[in-house]
Amino acid sequence: MIRFSAVAKRYPGGLEALRGVSLEVGDGEMVAITGHSGAGKSTLLRLAAGIERATAGTVVVQGQNLGALGESALAVLRRRIGFVFQDHKLLHDRSAFENVALPLRIAGFARDEAARRVRAALDKVGLLAREKAMPVALSGGEQQRLCIARAIVNRPMMLVADEPTGNLDAEYARAIISLFVSFHQVGTTVLLATHDETSLARLDCRRVALAAGLLAAPQPA
Amino acid sequence: MIRALRRHGHALADALRRMGAQPVASLLSILVLGVAIALPVAAAVMLKSVAATTASFDTEPHVNVYLTLDAADADAKRVGDALRATPDVAAVRFIPRAEALAELKSTTHLAELLGSLDKNPLPDAFTVRMRTTDGARIGAVRAAWGALPKVDQVVADFEWSERLARWARFGERVVIGIGILLGGAVAFIVAHLIRLQVLTQRQEIEVSQLIGATAGDVRRPFLYHGALQGLLAGAAAWGFAAAFAFWLAAELAALTPNYAAELKVVFLTPAERIGLVGGAALLGLLGAWSAVSRELRRFSTDR
Repeated sequence: MIRFSAVAKRYPGGLEALRGVSLEVGDGEMVAITGHSGAGKSTLLRLAAGIERATAGTVVVQGQNLGALGESALAVLRRRIGFVFQDHKLLHDRSAFENVALPLRIAGFARDEAARRVRAALDKVGLLAREKAMPVALSGGEQQRLCIARAIVNRPMMLVADEPTGNLDAEYARAIISLFVSFHQVGTTVLLATHDETSLARLDCRRVALAAGLLAAPQPA
Repeated sequence: MIRALRRHGHALADALRRMGAQPVASLLSILVLGVAIALPVAAAVMLKSVAATTASFDTEPHVNVYLTLDAADADAKRVGDALRATPDVAAVRFIPRAEALAELKSTTHLAELLGSLDKNPLPDAFTVRMRTTDGARIGAVRAAWGALPKVDQVVADFEWSERLARWARFGERVVIGIGILLGGAVAFIVAHLIRLQVLTQRQEIEVSQLIGATAGDVRRPFLYHGALQGLLAGAAAWGFAAAFAFWLAAELAALTPNYAAELKVVFLTPAERIGLVGGAALLGLLGAWSAVSRELRRFSTDR
């Protein structure tokens, strides 16, 4: 599903976020990326989701070498990956329904089919009753769930989440984590980054620790 | 295939929604663009009308030879023979002074004034149709005829038609020049409007790109928006120009009875109307394309 080979990422300005990471994530696997802020977790996720390109090494996702793909092909690949952004990236001038419908609009779904899928996704995250609400009217936890609904609406094979429990209290965080577990249970590959050890404590999955752009020694699950 | 069509449908709906969201601003910008396009179109309509009017004039080169008032019939015959013997002459028509006076009385309102004169003020004259349009040769003929006895004046009538043709070409260039300038203005104005749109949709563009929109997907609704603005502006320009032509036509109709030539406003042909609206849409499309491409380049280096 995902294969990183000696991947490095240097940002303009000289910051080296990743310094040679090799990692493999199998189909349907759930992997938690841990580490302090600035360890390179977000960069690793963005490279895996085709949002950024590696400066060295190769990233292969679903059999495709992302470095060899053109901009448009990379964009099309991103449609098959659901990404839950740390800062949500919701459109504040659109309702919850329209936010979730955005990926389907891009993919060119018919209105009826799109509406059906949007409602199914909103239902899945428990926001069906709030479909007309604007994002500002939603709580932090609800905004996070809205972002998850948008990530799963196109039924992606892979779900990538960057700090999905950040800034949420423990109860909300647990609910979010169990949502990801339920997606993993139906066969979706899940990659999530977090520095929140408490919400991971009860999570039974493989962990990969990053420190200063390098993989730390493997930790027991 | 169906999905691609649907994406175009979504893009068109998006463009309409954006225009509908700011109806006053959209209407004003369409009117501004319409006026800019209408100016060269109105000028072109005027030029076409003038060209159609002058086409009804006889523009074959004529030379008029006027005899002195004391010329006798024998003098007129001698001059006529000399004219007919000249090379390049196609036809010679003699207009006796009495006939000229009668014609003047019948075609103008000067009958009373002319009747009060005790003798005919008009000379005998010849109208000579030439085979050549070469100015130098006609000039030479003119000098030779001017030297004939009892010839008062030789007027080469072709000069004004040549001058008219030159003015028409001049007018055409003015119209083309203004058309290019204002066409460019239309593209720039649309580019500016679309750029503002792109900047206000910045967040949406960024999010769309993150979740799988290609540059083409992002560009599409803006291209529809630009083309639609151009199309509506072209239609508005058509309306403005038609109103202008109608207004002119009423005035021209009142002028017509005084002149032999028929004056009328020649409006755009159906093909020209389609060209006007289609061309305006194309200018809008070009403006939008340049604006979005520029902003897209800026976004992609952000990542």
